[in-house]
Amino acid sequence: MAAVRERNESAWLLPNDGSRTNHRLRDDMRRFADSDLVDLVVVGCGAGGSTLLQRLARRGWQVVGLDAGPFWDPDADWVSDEAGSHHLYWTEPRVISGTDPVPMGSNNSGRGVGGSMVHFAGYTPRFHPSDFATWTNDGVGADWPISYRDLRPYYEDIEQELPVAGEDWPWGDPHSYPQRPHPVGGNGEIFLRGAYASGITAKVGPVAISNGRFGNRPHCIYRGFCLQGCKVNAKASPLITHIPDALAHGAEIRANAMVTGIGFDERTGRATGVHYICGGVARFQRAAAVAIAGYSIETPRLLLNSASRRFPDGMCNDFDQVGRYLMVQGAPQTAGRFEAEVRMYKSPPPEVSSEQFYETDPRKPYKRGFSIQTVSPLPITWAEHVAAQGHWGADLRRYMSDYVHWSCLGALCEFLAQPGNRVTLAEEKDRYGLPVANFSYSQCDNDKQLTRAAQGVMEQILHAAGADEVITIDRYAHLVGGARMAADEQNGVVDGNCRSFAIPNLYITDGSVLPTQGSANPALTIMAVTARAAAHLAAGGR
Amino acid sequence: MTARKARVSGPAGAGIAPRISDATGDRFPGFNVLDQVSHWDPVTAGLVLSRVGRPPDIRFFSPAEEATATALCDRLLGQDGEPKIAVIPRIDARLAEQETDGWRYADMPEDGQAWRESLRFLDEDSRAACSCELARASVEDQRAVIQSVQDLGVKDWHGLNAAHVWSLWTRYACTAFYAHPSAWNEIGFPGPAYPRGYKNPGTDAREPYEVADTRPSADPLGGKDR
Repeated sequence: MAAVRERNESAWLLPNDGSRTNHRLRDDMRRFADSDLVDLVVVGCGAGGSTLLQRLARRGWQVVGLDAGPFWDPDADWVSDEAGSHHLYWTEPRVISGTDPVPMGSNNSGRGVGGSMVHFAGYTPRFHPSDFATWTNDGVGADWPISYRDLRPYYEDIEQELPVAGEDWPWGDPHSYPQRPHPVGGNGEIFLRGAYASGITAKVGPVAISNGRFGNRPHCIYRGFCLQGCKVNAKASPLITHIPDALAHGAEIRANAMVTGIGFDERTGRATGVHYICGGVARFQRAAAVAIAGYSIETPRLLLNSASRRFPDGMCNDFDQVGRYLMVQGAPQTAGRFEAEVRMYKSPPPEVSSEQFYETDPRKPYKRGFSIQTVSPLPITWAEHVAAQGHWGADLRRYMSDYVHWSCLGALCEFLAQPGNRVTLAEEKDRYGLPVANFSYSQCDNDKQLTRAAQGVMEQILHAAGADEVITIDRYAHLVGGARMAADEQNGVVDGNCRSFAIPNLYITDGSVLPTQGSANPALTIMAVTARAAAHLAAGGR
Repeated sequence: MTARKARVSGPAGAGIAPRISDATGDRFPGFNVLDQVSHWDPVTAGLVLSRVGRPPDIRFFSPAEEATATALCDRLLGQDGEPKIAVIPRIDARLAEQETDGWRYADMPEDGQAWRESLRFLDEDSRAACSCELARASVEDQRAVIQSVQDLGVKDWHGLNAAHVWSLWTRYACTAFYAHPSAWNEIGFPGPAYPRGYKNPGTDAREPYEVADTRPSADPLGGKDR
């Protein structure tokens, strides 16, 4: 691991006394004035923004990262409790529409330094090589302007920095992980047993949860609250994997700063910085370059809210691409009932996964595929699952009292990119007076076929493991797209290096640039794409 | 055996989180998550204990809305006898503070308004069916009024999508109920787990303070042992 420490010292900059935050590092943080022309200001400190800040601070750039939410302290701010973790999510108002509206909040949206990775489960699979050319291969989705080969070295780097634990991975581009797989709990045990009995390959991992000490980060304690923020510092989020190193190299993190618009000079055609509100005061940070990393809803919303004479329909929106091709994965969850006690809350929800059904199967009527993973919902989420079956009253209570006997699997189905699935501005305004996002989503036939196929496989696995009853609810997971990368400005918002086509010093470095999503959880790919963009930026100078 | 040991090690739990009126047949006898408070981190313990203390005063609902919401949520959650978990003050507090889930359906008003309107419509339905407001109707009649909304599926209910209303009610009600330690006792879930974590994961494996289900065959779908 020596090589990792030489290029990213974050894990060694955390305390080793049982507390989780290096307050000295934060207190001593470099602070810039709004009037300083910094090299780069980054909007959003999640997977993309934090990786960019760390990489460029390391190269000596003067960088400031703004985040709408807090600079978390896991000891004081996070709880080992489901309902009490509400503040980890982006819960500012949003409107959802379309024939298949997608709930937001806890499902997919983070707020605060670390972003959604603070409450993501922890799965960090790579995309497959085929994900980068679905249009050429299958006539669906889109081709990326970069290939898997372009990303591979960045995948390897990030996997070491998080670090990722898992078995040798046989799918996509076969690879191994820096850490050994974790032991599994009841839910993982059932998935492995059912998969084996039905001839399906399943593997333990890949999860960004430290299996063993990593720097000053301790071993996982298997308490099952990964989705509520890891109080242990075992599960990776940029708050502990990239921000400490960025601070040590002179980056500033300005928390509780809501960016309301991108500054733009009509004469030069360049971005000039960002307008933001902090503590109720409207301010403007000057910068030589701007990177937006607000994720698939807020990034398009910010661009649309940054209209000007040059961009009457929203910044970078000359070809009506901003906000379009937004994707979620179909994520049906199938649960099975066992006479034995499973107690699925007693381990990280992310344990075991299978990518056997990831690729297009020419024998099937649909294109692309799905993956299957353990999910292990806690009681409130499980109650939603049960209520979605129509149970209420004494029936609901009786069902819930059976919680310890249930095992739960989730699929990630590759829903296809469609132009009509998009963010627009709603009439409603937020507390800053800015129009909120309206996210419209409708499924196509291929999406629906994938969901049912995934449900069938999950039912097969659970029955093979000995379940006497199975139930399924349909839901969604993750977000990508909305400001995608493309070969040219008529088909996307940024190029393969994440630079916007319309403004030479404006970058987008988050999940919104992904043209397709595969059946993989997106965090690792968002970080890898950003690390690649950072290398390009650093090589090109300021 | 395990249950008795847990009680002895932390008798404080039983007093402050009484067992709620049981709809499930007490499958985990003697299990009380609050017996383990001393093993929780102080921030989490403070939050969870605040839920068993005096609930916040009603600020959002009018008295009439409070009455209708109480009848609705008691029926949704099967709280047909005392003692109960006080979910209405928690829902009221969320609505007063606009602590939403971070989204609303485009065909629904914002959550607070949607609660007010839907409670009014419930009373209208109740007056039509039983000649009185929901809170004054018999428990059976209340169930029938509520059932008729669920039966609509995605169809129109007083100008609202009935399924979206149902989702709103059940999300708020289930979150308030299953955040409470007394509800965790009923389902065998030990609640917070930091900094101790778990040492015995796996099927049919328990921590010393977890209590085995006394009726493992009570499959809610199988119709056995109901």
